[in-house]
Amino acid sequence: MTERSTAGAGSGVGAAADPLRGRLTHARLFFWAQTVGLVVLLAVILTTPGFLAEPSILALLTTVSFIGCVAVGMTLITISGNIMSFALGATVGVTAMVFILAANWLGLGAGLLVGLVFGSLLTGLQGLLIGWVRANPIIVSIAALALIYGVTQAFSEKGTIYADPGTIPALVKGKIAGIPIEFIVFLLSVTIAQFILSFTRFGRNLFMVGSSFRAAEAVGVRTWRTITGAYLWAGFFTSLAAIMLAVRYDAANMDYGVAYDYDAIAAVLVGGTAIGGGHGSALRTFAGAMVIAAVQVMLLLKGLRQEWQYLAAGLIVLAVIVLQARGSGR
Amino acid sequence: MSVRLHLDDPHARPFIVLAACIILLAAIDGGHGRFLSFATAYSALQTFATISLVTLGLGLTMMIREFDLSVVGMYGMAGCIAVLTGTHHPWLGLGFGLGIGLTAGIVQGFIIVRLHLSSVGVTLGGLLVFVGIAFVLAESRSLPYDNLGVALLLNKRIGGVFSIRSVVALAFFAGAAAIFAWTRLGRDIIAIGSDRRASMTAGVKVDTLIVGIFAFSGFCAALSGVLLSYSLASASPAGLSDVIAPAAAGAILGGVSLGGGTGRPLGIAAGALTLAVLRSGLNAVGAPPFVNDIAMGAVLLAVAVLDGPYLARRLVGVRRMARRALGA
Repeated sequence: MTERSTAGAGSGVGAAADPLRGRLTHARLFFWAQTVGLVVLLAVILTTPGFLAEPSILALLTTVSFIGCVAVGMTLITISGNIMSFALGATVGVTAMVFILAANWLGLGAGLLVGLVFGSLLTGLQGLLIGWVRANPIIVSIAALALIYGVTQAFSEKGTIYADPGTIPALVKGKIAGIPIEFIVFLLSVTIAQFILSFTRFGRNLFMVGSSFRAAEAVGVRTWRTITGAYLWAGFFTSLAAIMLAVRYDAANMDYGVAYDYDAIAAVLVGGTAIGGGHGSALRTFAGAMVIAAVQVMLLLKGLRQEWQYLAAGLIVLAVIVLQARGSGR
Repeated sequence: MSVRLHLDDPHARPFIVLAACIILLAAIDGGHGRFLSFATAYSALQTFATISLVTLGLGLTMMIREFDLSVVGMYGMAGCIAVLTGTHHPWLGLGFGLGIGLTAGIVQGFIIVRLHLSSVGVTLGGLLVFVGIAFVLAESRSLPYDNLGVALLLNKRIGGVFSIRSVVALAFFAGAAAIFAWTRLGRDIIAIGSDRRASMTAGVKVDTLIVGIFAFSGFCAALSGVLLSYSLASASPAGLSDVIAPAAAGAILGGVSLGGGTGRPLGIAAGALTLAVLRSGLNAVGAPPFVNDIAMGAVLLAVAVLDGPYLARRLVGVRRMARRALGA
């Protein structure tokens, strides 16, 4: 199922990344066309009347941060050649609940730590199965989705867990220099992920595993470690989103992450990370998330109902997937 | 001897699992008559009607080593379309729903074949578009279906345990099984899944078949969506989205391997029926609803790991390590 796409994307990227030839291949052309497209789109949006009014901008920055963090995590999974995970949305819900429980019991700092470790391990474990025995990533994530919902239902009867009054100080819900804290965390996540991808050995291995699994094995990359690492980090960034949601609402339930997996993969693909793996970046995902969010706000400002956002996101993703294929010359 | 032969036959496995589930649930029930009753059989068949056609469509795409994610979106979208257009003329709503399912499947199949794209990517795009259309049509709320006569008719019991919905689903499986048994189509589909290049060389019309299977998958998802919305007398763009896990689990339980090239329609029917019996049976014996989710997730996870191409290699490594540790 995935082999064909991986092999295809691998050859396309290989051709594009050959600096000796310096030729403007299809793939590179498309890459730049997409970048220019994103910039033009952003310019159009920013000049829409009313868009730069402060309330709409601040609302945009906060909502984009939750999905954005999940999307940064999803980027690593997509680059590793495992397409996407359907369990990240459920992970947001369950991690938010674990965070609130731990914070009520042990205090905010310990709650943070427990939440981050829990979310990372939960997703990392799926990565271990996928990397170690090469289990099908789509099926593993669907299984994890069902298991997470089932186990959570078994443990929480009431559905919503509330934070004890005073557990989460108002300080962490504020703004720094007029920017919502959520957005600063999102920016930090993008920076960390981009650093990992660009400047570490793990990042280099990740691209190699994603673009050609066999080649990575042949040169001695321990592929299972790389894939497990990608999922661990994906879980880490997803937990950040979960904790921010819990902090914002002083509560947690399983509805928090619903549909985040789809929103996240949309941001990843619109940014230009290849669905076949081996190609992409966290910065592109940042751009993708901002563009989708900006389009949604613009639709609202133009008076279109909220539902059109979903359709717009879907059409953009479909267009990007089809255009990517044409761009890579296949 | 003969029993062992049967157990080894991969095509018999789905039926053995189904039988084991029924025996297990009957044992748990312990003669209270809660499980082995007409009511439970009827409710199991209703669940079967809800999930089995999606399972058949998805299972066929898995048999040719593809994966149709868009069934989830199609399910909800077709339901919304049918409810909106079919209040006075239910057949018209059904026609619209099925037509759109078929068309969307063909379009997706064409994109996959012509552009040599991975089906997961294309159908992911399709999924997001269908969900978007469903939300736009339904204006983000659940749509009521005012023709209650149709709802009652669809759910009316026939012969104690059947309903029109479950009879339709069973008829589809019978038809698919007949096609697999008596025409070349079944063998061609298996061939595409086993070795696409070889089957192309052997003269199988690979591209046409792939488009056809995606069309069939879209059609099946649309049909189950329309029938479910009619029988619930409402459609909702989001509420029906938890269908992908049962569909994938049903296909896998039904003997469709993740690597493609195996599976039979009747096996898929047995897989979907196993899930339906589990859900209704656990409900009948008073188990909480989460048991069903956990069981389904565990089955999917187990199959994913057992199907992992590196499992054998890793086990050899573990054994070697254990031997070394014991030797030292």
